[in-house]
Amino acid sequence: MYGGGNTFEGIKTDSLAHEDPEKLGAFEARIERGEKIEPADWMPQLYRKQLIRMIEQHAHSEIIGALPEGTWITRAPGFKRKLALMAKVQDEVGHAQLLYSAAETLGKSREQMITDLITGKSKYSNIFNYPAYTWADACFISWLVDAGAIVNQLANAKGSYGPYCRALERICAEESFHLKYGHHCVIYLAAGSQKQREMFQEAINRWWPPMMHFFGPADKISEHTAVLMKWKVKMATNDDMRNQFLDMYVPKILELGFTIPDPKLKKNTDTGRWDYTEPDWEEFKRVINGDGPCNKERLEVRRIAEERGQWVRDALKNAKTTYVTPLA
Amino acid sequence: MNSLDPRVKRLPETGKEGLVIPKAPLDQLGTYEVFVQPKEGKPFQHEGAVHAPDLELAFVLAKETLTRRFACSSLYVVDTRNVYVSPMTEGNQNAYDTLNITNDQGTPSSYEVFHLVKRGKQHVHAGTVEAGSPQGAFAEARKKFGDKPVYNIWIIPTAEIRFTTAEEKDLWLTLPEKKFRDASDYKGGDKLKEFLERTT
Amino acid sequence: MNASALKELLYKIADDQLILGHRNSEWTGFGPLLEEDIAFSSMAQDKIGQSYALYQILNQLGEQAPDTVAFMRNANQFHNCILVELPNGEYDFSLIRHFLFDTAEAIRFDMLSNSSYQPLAELARKIKGELRYHTLHANTWIKKLGTATEESITRLQRSLDTALPFALGIFEPSPHEDELMQQGIFEGEQTLQHRWKTRIEEVIRETSLALPDWASVKPVTGGRTGNHSEYLQPLLDEMAEVFRIDPATEW
Repeated sequence: MYGGGNTFEGIKTDSLAHEDPEKLGAFEARIERGEKIEPADWMPQLYRKQLIRMIEQHAHSEIIGALPEGTWITRAPGFKRKLALMAKVQDEVGHAQLLYSAAETLGKSREQMITDLITGKSKYSNIFNYPAYTWADACFISWLVDAGAIVNQLANAKGSYGPYCRALERICAEESFHLKYGHHCVIYLAAGSQKQREMFQEAINRWWPPMMHFFGPADKISEHTAVLMKWKVKMATNDDMRNQFLDMYVPKILELGFTIPDPKLKKNTDTGRWDYTEPDWEEFKRVINGDGPCNKERLEVRRIAEERGQWVRDALKNAKTTYVTPLA
Repeated sequence: MNSLDPRVKRLPETGKEGLVIPKAPLDQLGTYEVFVQPKEGKPFQHEGAVHAPDLELAFVLAKETLTRRFACSSLYVVDTRNVYVSPMTEGNQNAYDTLNITNDQGTPSSYEVFHLVKRGKQHVHAGTVEAGSPQGAFAEARKKFGDKPVYNIWIIPTAEIRFTTAEEKDLWLTLPEKKFRDASDYKGGDKLKEFLERTT
Repeated sequence: MNASALKELLYKIADDQLILGHRNSEWTGFGPLLEEDIAFSSMAQDKIGQSYALYQILNQLGEQAPDTVAFMRNANQFHNCILVELPNGEYDFSLIRHFLFDTAEAIRFDMLSNSSYQPLAELARKIKGELRYHTLHANTWIKKLGTATEESITRLQRSLDTALPFALGIFEPSPHEDELMQQGIFEGEQTLQHRWKTRIEEVIRETSLALPDWASVKPVTGGRTGNHSEYLQPLLDEMAEVFRIDPATEW
């Protein structure tokens, strides 16, 4: 699962100046026709670069996203929850694998991508830099963070790059149970004991601000990304997705008798958009650049995992292995 | 390491905190293409790729990486380097027309032929041909399957494929029973209804 | 049919699967290669799922509900062998344990597919494919790493030496062995152990690993009678941490 908060580099439109105008025209016409771009097709360098960055960030978000819910994998209460959470966290790893494969078709190696993650060079969805203090936190993530990711993924599944779209279709299919499972967990907390209700209310209070950051900075302060929308790399604005999420899930949270810690949160009947306390975008920037509660731990866990497994991979390598780009 | 995750607390001290060892080339090994038969009688289709050191481990890993969730009756894998890829076409152009048909030399062996019938979709198995080389196999495939235009063709030497054996078909037997991964197993509606009636 | 003989059999198999499945789930997200992380996690789920099926059979025989039985018993009430409760160690130990245990499990269920106790025979037939995968996975990895580098061979050998005495604890005989055999429910731990040793030797022969003389390996037993290592209770405390916040509620 993955959220917005993509850190796209500022797009300098003149970086297209060196591209063959005829090829560029044909490329853009193909996209406009609704056809997919496949690995063997000609594409502008900027397209390749931004797609690698986007798919890579998504892949990293999955493998890191396995960690907050993974916090509770050994403590899931009861067989049903235990099996479900084991499968869900496994799916995050599986989705990372699918997405790294899609990014590989664009020419970046998995070795380089994993190294860039652990060194902190590549980014991932900010929300996973927060701690999952209780079982209820894990349920919040399973339901609402997944819900957010699905809003994002459904939009991107209609994008222009074939391998990414196919990976997303598969991911959406596998995630259909994640969302239902998450909601199921929360319904049971809501309908359960006083302790359970309180546990979840406290989780909402903790996770609501990061959730409002989830879709990325407000449109009005976001980088100008017109060319990315033309190329169907970015499929919807951050605010559009945020509003879609609020439309779908605020009522569901409130119907369970929980409160949302933002007194300003309200659907504006005039604008048709949600009013809310403007999220702290300075905090967002700080956290995504390494200064969040769990950034250090998340990367350390990945670093340790890779190092512990080094002897295994070294033993698997053999003299005949060479690398070619995998097929989409 | 201090953590909310007891598993993380148990992780052994490894290397030096914050000191990343950049990955050497081939740390993640090479790749194998994975082909899946969704149901008995249906053609195999390309499903994706796995990183693995050899054909046997590629088969073992592909089974869970790419066929752990949805119905599947069979799977096979082949080294990415053993997939011969034609040029890609578009519009009305047939990928078979992009090739020079050459005379086939060499001892005949079997090749599997895959077609991309629609851009954006996966390659699907069209059939098997006998030829003396991959190029010859393209020519034979054109004769046998080239009546309708396709956008891309893959040729794979049959001998390089690790197939599922007859005995191994039961690997996917319990897949449909793992309801805990089905959305339909999480119908919270009744509980929700009961809760709403209780509290409103 | 002696209910307690049957129940004891079911409990020990289910407890083995629950504890090992739980241990193996500790690797999810931490594996040496993404694809292997995924594979190992699947097998952990299979184990938990299989234990769940067995606790459900026990429930039908009058035992408490599966959640209660799994999450509310303490260490001295568990009948798993000590092998499965040991910490995961590094990947070499976890793979060796997987190899030793799953080889036995596959043979056990192969034997049980002829059991006179129908629910067990049915379950055995149903999970044959899952166990086929578990042994295919284990054998492929052991053969690969057991012939690869000096480091991988040394690590595997060390783990094998450590694990073998505990592995023999799988076959600790039950006081009801004769009865289970007479009733046709199960052909017994001795037969299982014999077949297991042959299978293990076959695989190890294809590696650079060495098996000691079986006579020199002293079995570590006690798990079947509730006498466990210091590792089980903390494992159970962790597993049941949330459940025990309120065992009466639904999660």
